[in-house]
Amino acid sequence: MANFTTDGKLCIERELDIANADHQYEDIITRFNILETCEWITDNKYVKVCLQFPDDLLSVSAAIYHEIKKRVNVDLYILGDTSYASCCVDSVAAMHVQGEAVIHYGHSCFTKSNIPVFIILPKSDLNLDIVKKLLLENFKSNDNTELCLFYDAEYEHCKDEIASFWFQNYPQSYVAFIQIEETNHRFLGRIIRNEKNEIVSVDILKQCTCIHIGSRGQTLFNFTVSVPASKWYLLDPKENKVDILEETIWFKRRRFLVEKCKDANIIGILVCKLAGDQTKDIISRMKQLCRVNGKKSYIVSVGKPNVAKLANFPEIDIYVMIACPENDLYNNRDFYKPIVYPFELELAFNSNRESYYNYHVTDYDELLRGKRHYCDISHMKEATDVSLITGNIRETKIQSSEEGSKDLMEKQNWALENIGQNLQERSWKGLEQKLGETEVKRVEEGRKGIPLQYSNEPE
Amino acid sequence: MVNFTVDEIRGMMDKKRNIRNMSVIAHVDHGKSTLTDSLVSKAGIIANARAGETRFTDTRKDEQDRCITIKSTAISMYFELEEKDLVFITNPDQREKSEKGFLINLIDSPGHVDFSSEVTAALRVTDGALVVVDCVSGVCVQTETVLRQAIAERIKPILFMNKMDRALLELQLESEELYQTFQRIVENVNVIIATYSDDSGPMGEVRVDPSKGSVGFGSGLHGWAFTLKQFAEMYADKFKIDLVKLMNRLWGENFFNATTKKWSKQKDNDNKRSFCMYVLDPIYKVFKAIMNFQKEEIDSLLKKIGVTIKHEDADKDGKALLKVVMRTWLPAGEALLQMIAIHLPSPVVAQKYRMEMLYEGPHDDEAAIGIKNCDPEAPLMMYVSKMVPTSDKGRFYAFGRVFSGKVITGQKARIMGPNFQPGKKEDLYEKTIQRTILMMGRYVEAIEDVPSGNICGLVGVDQFLVKTGTITTYKNAHNMKVMKFSVSPVVRVAVEPKNPADLPKLVEGLKRLAKSDPMVQCINEESGEHIVAGAGELHLEICLKDLEEDHACIPIKKSDPVVSYRETVSEESNQMCLSKSPNKHNRLFMKATPMPDGLPEDIDEGKVNPRDDFKTRARYLGEKYEYDVTEARKIWCFGPEGTGPNILVDCSKGVQYLNEIKDSVVAGFQWAAKEGVMAEENLRGVRFNIYDVTLHTDAIHRGGGQIIPTTRRCLYACLLTAAPRLMEPVYLCEIQCPEVAVGGIYGVLNRRRGHVFEESQVAGTPMFVVKAYLPVNESFGFTADLRSNTGGQAFPQCVFDHWQILPGDPCEPGSKPYVVVQETRKRKGLKEGLPDLAQYLDKL
Repeated sequence: MANFTTDGKLCIERELDIANADHQYEDIITRFNILETCEWITDNKYVKVCLQFPDDLLSVSAAIYHEIKKRVNVDLYILGDTSYASCCVDSVAAMHVQGEAVIHYGHSCFTKSNIPVFIILPKSDLNLDIVKKLLLENFKSNDNTELCLFYDAEYEHCKDEIASFWFQNYPQSYVAFIQIEETNHRFLGRIIRNEKNEIVSVDILKQCTCIHIGSRGQTLFNFTVSVPASKWYLLDPKENKVDILEETIWFKRRRFLVEKCKDANIIGILVCKLAGDQTKDIISRMKQLCRVNGKKSYIVSVGKPNVAKLANFPEIDIYVMIACPENDLYNNRDFYKPIVYPFELELAFNSNRESYYNYHVTDYDELLRGKRHYCDISHMKEATDVSLITGNIRETKIQSSEEGSKDLMEKQNWALENIGQNLQERSWKGLEQKLGETEVKRVEEGRKGIPLQYSNEPE
Repeated sequence: MVNFTVDEIRGMMDKKRNIRNMSVIAHVDHGKSTLTDSLVSKAGIIANARAGETRFTDTRKDEQDRCITIKSTAISMYFELEEKDLVFITNPDQREKSEKGFLINLIDSPGHVDFSSEVTAALRVTDGALVVVDCVSGVCVQTETVLRQAIAERIKPILFMNKMDRALLELQLESEELYQTFQRIVENVNVIIATYSDDSGPMGEVRVDPSKGSVGFGSGLHGWAFTLKQFAEMYADKFKIDLVKLMNRLWGENFFNATTKKWSKQKDNDNKRSFCMYVLDPIYKVFKAIMNFQKEEIDSLLKKIGVTIKHEDADKDGKALLKVVMRTWLPAGEALLQMIAIHLPSPVVAQKYRMEMLYEGPHDDEAAIGIKNCDPEAPLMMYVSKMVPTSDKGRFYAFGRVFSGKVITGQKARIMGPNFQPGKKEDLYEKTIQRTILMMGRYVEAIEDVPSGNICGLVGVDQFLVKTGTITTYKNAHNMKVMKFSVSPVVRVAVEPKNPADLPKLVEGLKRLAKSDPMVQCINEESGEHIVAGAGELHLEICLKDLEEDHACIPIKKSDPVVSYRETVSEESNQMCLSKSPNKHNRLFMKATPMPDGLPEDIDEGKVNPRDDFKTRARYLGEKYEYDVTEARKIWCFGPEGTGPNILVDCSKGVQYLNEIKDSVVAGFQWAAKEGVMAEENLRGVRFNIYDVTLHTDAIHRGGGQIIPTTRRCLYACLLTAAPRLMEPVYLCEIQCPEVAVGGIYGVLNRRRGHVFEESQVAGTPMFVVKAYLPVNESFGFTADLRSNTGGQAFPQCVFDHWQILPGDPCEPGSKPYVVVQETRKRKGLKEGLPDLAQYLDKL
């Protein structure tokens, strides 16, 4: 043991943070839709099913497992500690046990997955009286502006009550319902319907005032930036208040990052999402965008990214992260090099896109062919431009990489030259012998102990 | 009225010894543009009668409206010297044999400090400077600044005393008094020249001397001027004295007794100073006669001075007549052009001694030798000093000087920006020069090619350069040195379009604005704000107006002007700061200390810079700043951007693998130096010492990922433990005013945290000069405030001088720096409050 740590006491005395998530649910069967789950499993005749839990629900996982097992005779597996984010379906972990379907518990981001999923939304109590009071106080139905109501997924269980009250008081308005199955007008897991329960296109929201019932968080944030409504309000039933939401500062920062993409020469495509068709498609699209703009790109896959991992590639100028839209690393400023959304790389490198935008596409799925925000990539012309970030000229140099293999030699040379340039700027290359340059010294006593604390280190 | 054609000029361009490239420089309102007009009128582009009113070189509408030059403007002129005057040119490199014609390329520059960068750009492409001084106000701060810059660039000056009409008509100075004024100005100018050059230097004698004819006198507004040569010529025959000798006699302590006809070196009762007697008296007589309407006196005087009044001017009197008479008698163009041709150097002469100041590469390569010899057959070397907007929106002429070789329409050339380094491809473009053009005030003319020694414009290279650059055909050429400006862009405003959807237009406009002005900075900040930074309020006002009307063409919202701050430390870190890498296996031990006074400035000016030989640099730091020489040899880097005024010093001993992590530590240092811990502003004047480093023995555990973020954390801890402070920019402010207004100035300055450090009377005038330091942040609206408090009598000139610590501790809520930090953090979208030391400092 002494070989691994200097002082055993350290390990014993170290305090760890543990989230206290010891839920005691009386109503497991209704709260976690056990009956519906069983029905779904038997209807589809699944034999191996995985139950995916976020960390805070792991404590009830066993109870749920038993409840289901009691009712249907299938192989059940509990999945915990998901690879990237617990809001996404961990299809890879399911594949390890050859699971045919996943039952997803807890908060969900509703992104598409390539395995059958049954989503069980969390439920919280909603004080409808407060909601009604706040709505009537703050919003009038006779206003000329149209209204649209959003609600947090945890209130899905009382959507009918909310909707009926809403349409009674605001007849010319809309509600964004949660839509789990993939359909044409779905965006971020929502679909908009009017009073007659007809599906309406998202574009209607441009002139709408949107109200979200719920609390602040990444989900609401994604709505406010992706839906270009005229105004966004948050109705927080727990805090009993209505706030207006504005993200102009955030947009300014993101526009800066789009410019930063244009300045970058080497782009890291950071994959933080499990394999799937869309992931492959978006990676190849990002690669193609870099190529037509004469930028070099590398695919970086380092598991859950952190500051230290990404700083290991100091030559990469900017990272584009392929991840769940609810990932909060996009806004983290501790990274050595910034991280952008795929949409932002599109804005920087796809000249077919409008250069001004007042909305954002956080879900990269919508950028793919056939989706709402798809846009053809045009071939760039060689051009120069002034960068307002560095104050220098930046150039779009097009490599004729698509012309076939006859320039293979040239391409190799180019690649070598590129690598050479990056290494040239390093002062330590690691292989020089420095014959005769190193002073001859008497042997000294070196470092003792283990890296955690060497025994001869200064205090 | 144009009396020369493009073909004639092209012919002249080959006669490189007969070329004079010159700029006109002066304090604001000393009459440069007006004086330039009289030259242009002589060369014949505008009608004679309108000289003095047109301001030919003020090509922009706002320049004409405000009567202030904003952009420097070039014109080419052709002028023939008479046979008798040619003998004054003795140097064979100053004149082609049997050629009387001279090609003068003149650049008129702005006088307001805010536009000093235009002067710098003008000086770079010229060899001589006509320094204009208003003889009523004398040598002013801007005269000194631009003159100092000229000397530093090895530009030869000649002097012109302007506004003599005011001295005579308004101040009614006696002739001896006027002589004393002139004498004092000449002395002042020579003192400045002597401070920044010496006669044994490569330029030879630089000082100006009226008796040699390198000082002119006159009135640009009235269109008359003379040097002692003109008057000596009038008297030479009569006195039977050699012209040169007589010129010597006409200046200085030379007195003539009219009764005994004897010269003397001393003043006594009967004799009179020769300058007053022979030069000033006749002028005084003409003035007196005309202004007092003494008809007969006028007639006899006119006969004496040999002026006949043309028919159309016969019924004029008073000032109008005075103008006509003086202009006919002592035409300004003639006198000035003679001064220029005789006393200013040709490119052949100038480039010999300017090459080493201009070229960064070895002084014996092909390009250097081409420049030295001004050889049109050598490889092309051209320096582009600024961009001039064309009528085609968004496109620019690249304006500059050919120092060697020929620039030809359709030629393929290497375009090298300021970041180009020989052997690398960054900032290097090989493109065709679409067209070469001649630039003459408001007109441009296409020209086939331009040989060395000339100034011209290029079409088609503007896309590859931001502001300046070098154009060459020589593959191994280095850059020409970048220009050093005397002003800095310290005043900033944030701009945004009134209609948010116009943002792309604004961005395009900012890019154009960045090109069109040598000094302005257009920056997209980390927060996403678009910032325009300029030298002062006036400069910004003009830039924003250009942005709105010419470059972006959309309505713009602008914030109030603000300054940018710097972060620094005031003490040594109070503890050894330790930060551990994320894997806990690497540890850095460092401290921050403030740099000694003067070192950050030395780094700014390049006296201490990363490219120095480390031994020389260490010796310099040891001698001047008492740095330990062994430590000073181990300066790892400067930052931010590898050149800034902060250093990282390795003070450790015997650390294993240290050289392997140097690049990572440097990267972390550059990061922290660019975004300080308090408000993510640049650092200034901080020295970081690395005292010890513990590294994991396996290379894989001490890669960049472990070291770069850790270095930044450790540096932040160093800053927080070293009593962090904010620095603000400070103007040096010079105010001229009559004595009664001095009290008012003090009041205004006190209210704005300014302090006066010098107050003196301008000798021979009732004017006072007050010099003060004024924080830039307090300078907004200063001019207007000053005027209202002094009844419009005080006029300030503010130029960035230094950075100073903003008093107070930014970590103490309620203090002024605290407020600044919080405002900045808010604007940048950072977490409000103070950075927490515990986040950066680790325990062993």
